[in-house]
Amino acid sequence: MTKEYHEIDDIIVIHYKYSFGGQSRFFIELKNNKQIMGTKCPKCKTVYCPPRIACAKCYETTEWIPLKDTGEIKVSTLVWYSTSAFIQNIPYAVGYIQLDGASTAINQGIFSDNLVPSKVKPGKRVRAVFKKEREGKITDFFFVPIDEYDDWIQKPEFEGGKNG
Amino acid sequence: MSWTMHGIGNEYMTRRVAIIGFGMTPFKARWPDKTYFELAYDACNEALQDAGITIKDVDSAVYGIYNDLFERQFMPDIYVNDYIGNIDKPGTRVTTGGATGGFTVRTGYAEVASGLADICLVLGVEKCNDCYDKQTGTTTPEVLKAIAYSADMTWEFPLGMLAASSYVVLVNAHFNKYGNPTEEQMAKVSIKNHGNAFNNPKAQAPMKLTIEDVLNSRIICYPFKMLDCCLYSEASAALILASEEKVKELKAENPVWITGVGAACTDAFIGNRKSIGALPSNIAAAKQAYKMAGLDYKNIKKELDVAELHDAFTGQEVISYEELGFVEYGKGGAWIDDGGPEMHGELPVNPSGGLIGCGHAVGATGIMSTGEAYLQLTERAGKRQVPITKGRAISHSIGGPGAAYSAVIVLER
Repeated sequence: MTKEYHEIDDIIVIHYKYSFGGQSRFFIELKNNKQIMGTKCPKCKTVYCPPRIACAKCYETTEWIPLKDTGEIKVSTLVWYSTSAFIQNIPYAVGYIQLDGASTAINQGIFSDNLVPSKVKPGKRVRAVFKKEREGKITDFFFVPIDEYDDWIQKPEFEGGKNG
Repeated sequence: MSWTMHGIGNEYMTRRVAIIGFGMTPFKARWPDKTYFELAYDACNEALQDAGITIKDVDSAVYGIYNDLFERQFMPDIYVNDYIGNIDKPGTRVTTGGATGGFTVRTGYAEVASGLADICLVLGVEKCNDCYDKQTGTTTPEVLKAIAYSADMTWEFPLGMLAASSYVVLVNAHFNKYGNPTEEQMAKVSIKNHGNAFNNPKAQAPMKLTIEDVLNSRIICYPFKMLDCCLYSEASAALILASEEKVKELKAENPVWITGVGAACTDAFIGNRKSIGALPSNIAAAKQAYKMAGLDYKNIKKELDVAELHDAFTGQEVISYEELGFVEYGKGGAWIDDGGPEMHGELPVNPSGGLIGCGHAVGATGIMSTGEAYLQLTERAGKRQVPITKGRAISHSIGGPGAAYSAVIVLER
């Protein structure tokens, strides 16, 4: 006997006007000044990027500091199958990048004109490239291998930062 | 009332807790003819029958359900509670990603150990494949999107993180440090777990595979291939937990005692971790559970008959061999090469097929794994029965963003 069932199409949508709260300064500096910011714990000296306004180890209020836009890949992967929100972007690389001067690593896209595992492997130096049209979101910038940087900032939709 | 000194460092007065019944539905890609609460009812009914009790005998329930977007329902637990008729009694939901099952068993244990309940129903359920991606005409990309909302919505979700990519960076970092697991070693885990599933009539993915089959399967997230990944499943699994007094009163035929419970959460932001290629939460949960059970972390492999580990991805199973204390750090790849975790190896790992072979119905998975350990210790595991000489088994769950949650349960008969 064939089992009986009835299906419908359905969708859930919620609209937000979402505030980044204490982390807002990161996104304001990113949008207005192409400046990547971190926060430093005055006690243990940990430099957080992504920033946090209070240290989880010391329970101290952290201080905002500008970071360089160069850093090192700690680990990465190349994605060849993805969620419905990203499947049109494959293949793409994501990884954790420790910016020069930061103690932690930030998750970010790594772009390359020749996307192979060796281009995005741990230890590789990368530099941030910024979108010209920025909205104050994490996707306003991405990283590229340092030897591709000059090519990427020549592309019409992108530009370099101030602090290299 | 019999109270025993039993707990971490014997600091707490707790009661002994036994599993006295288990039930589960088959794990399938989709159950279009059953809703999540109807699946939960089926597993609950089977567990109640296995324990020889009715829903009226249950004092409290704990529900493991991971993802509201899968179920198309916020607070799905109250509708499960309603549907199984657990009326005018407490039902509490636990949701900790892929580790939901393990954390649900832990919460159920606490209900009975504390004296809040004499009999507790631990019930996990998940649908997922009602999610549907119109652009590809398939379910999986939309299932993955529903999961990706568990990643931090400001810093991680917008970049295209997915479950496989968060696990694969751990495995890649481990490989960079220790030179393993290699792609071939990961393939061996896939072959083992898909192969074991042939002996589990409720498993979703029994497959006979070669290393080449795994290596040549579609690339998902470098270096994970499709056959390195578990499949998403729909299913429900249920355990009945009882106090020692109830075990005696009911003359339970097959009590298996929960003697160790450990759980830990590490940094959700992988970039904040001291070492990216490790899950300190796995080590903390294992050490906590073993200590509570009076077992030695360094000698644990010799103390167990069987282990059900969280193999959402092959490479993670290999790292767990190390972090759960079976082998030294960096020796996990060599252990699968030596056949250690095979059915006839030193310590069989995932005779059920695990998540790769049996399936991953998220909220139900850790309860399935604990139920499999229970079946093994009561020697009711059919064709996949391993010899029980020490009378002891563990189940293990991992989950959440960056695989930050870990739970380990020790069972003894």
